[in-house]
Amino acid sequence: MTDEAVSFSPLPYRRTLAAVKFIAPLLALVVLWQAVVTVFAVDPRVFPSVPTVLRAGWSTIVDGTLVAHVGASLWRVTVGTVIAILTAVPLGIAMGVSKGVSAFLTPLFRFFSVLAGIAWIPIATLWFGYGFGAITFVIFNAVFFVVAYNTLMGVSTIPMPLRHAAAALGANRWQMLTQVLLPGALPNIVTGIRTGMGFAWRGLIAAEMIATNVGLGYMLFLARDFYRTEVIVFAMIVIGVIWLVLDRFLLAPLERATVERWGLVQS
Amino acid sequence: MKSLVLENLSKTYFDPYRGTQFTAIKDVSLQVGEGDFVAVVGPSGCGKSTILNMIAGFVPISGGRILVDGHQVKGPGPDRGVVFQSHALFPWKTVAENVTFGPKMRGVGKAERARIADEYLALAGLSHAAERYPNELSGGMQQRVGVVRALANNPDVLLMDEPFASVDAQTRMTLQEELTRIWEERRPTVVFITHDVSEAVFLANRVVVLSKGHVLAEVAVPLARPRSWTRLVEDDGFKALSNQVLQLVRSA
Repeated sequence: MTDEAVSFSPLPYRRTLAAVKFIAPLLALVVLWQAVVTVFAVDPRVFPSVPTVLRAGWSTIVDGTLVAHVGASLWRVTVGTVIAILTAVPLGIAMGVSKGVSAFLTPLFRFFSVLAGIAWIPIATLWFGYGFGAITFVIFNAVFFVVAYNTLMGVSTIPMPLRHAAAALGANRWQMLTQVLLPGALPNIVTGIRTGMGFAWRGLIAAEMIATNVGLGYMLFLARDFYRTEVIVFAMIVIGVIWLVLDRFLLAPLERATVERWGLVQS
Repeated sequence: MKSLVLENLSKTYFDPYRGTQFTAIKDVSLQVGEGDFVAVVGPSGCGKSTILNMIAGFVPISGGRILVDGHQVKGPGPDRGVVFQSHALFPWKTVAENVTFGPKMRGVGKAERARIADEYLALAGLSHAAERYPNELSGGMQQRVGVVRALANNPDVLLMDEPFASVDAQTRMTLQEELTRIWEERRPTVVFITHDVSEAVFLANRVVVLSKGHVLAEVAVPLARPRSWTRLVEDDGFKALSNQVLQLVRSA
């Protein structure tokens, strides 16, 4: 009756277990934190206790400032990422189709992928001034080069027989693009978006400390001026949690869906 | 299905290591009549895959002409269906979507495509796998899909590039028998590239032996159809022809 046993350990149970395994270490850290703060009577100006952070968090929720900061940050990330994807994917495909062009541009894109993000903050503020433009540019920059580079890699690693097969079945240039190159590169594109948004999120926080008056990075930086360590820690937790939620419930499933469904071995 | 003519076909590559021209194919002429089945055999490096790639339009020719139904070949096109050794199925499309890829490219509607998928999947014995993805299939099933995907586009000529070389021996024999059955039913014009002499003799009406870029000999295969391995494996005519072709290939 092993079959029955198998059918009685359904997916929801395994998911709950996975969630518990993921959250348990984080909870342990919170317990340890509170224990250390209590035992050593840590000065709240150095590090706050768990209850004060919870109270500070609650008050930012109640007075609406948290929503304003999170909203501003997410809006910038969304705009920057969408613009980056819309420009990087067509460019990456155009470059990936030609071996000569992709060989020439690959080093450039690797260079700018490494440089992407916070290194652009100073010059972005010179170009766009302080505020939405400069920060969105930093996000765009972080996502653009990584996605373009991954798209290029995705297209150039599509096995030649697949392109030959499509051509021999009568695909024209547009159909080659939509039916072969784009879906063939999609697993790489999604991986690029996931990596790029990881850079972007870090870059966003850094940029917001310098170049704006609203957003999670600004929330952190402002609290520092008033020695509000409980607000700083709360904002740090929010930054981490938002990224984990985004990555775990949006980006990772998207990546899994494309890579696993089609198999890693193509042709 | 229409005829295929190769006239004085040649192919030279530039050899970057020697700095000289390398002649892969020199002066190959071949006529494949409508509904004929021709196998091209030869040792590796004899240029048989180069010829197929030129007919398919994947590789530009250096000299001569390729005519399909009287029209000169310029690049790949749906008049020539290709079956690849690496099956080359689209991993992001289901089996049914792979089979109807060609019709979809020329704008055939959804209902008609569903009918085409039904027809050709039944032909390959794969009706049960219509909604599966290529990576969920065995190697033999993948090759079956590759064959009917090319056929479903109704090409003038079917080009097959060692399509059964990477499946196990048992499956290969089954696939060969299925291919002869499909050919007898539908009579497509076929050019079949292989290094396997018994495969060539089993399948074809005529075997072309290629050597160092030119045609060494053509051997007619007047064996009765339908052909099956259970009958032919002990058949004296089959054995004699296989031997004859094998000697030619080994002398090549």
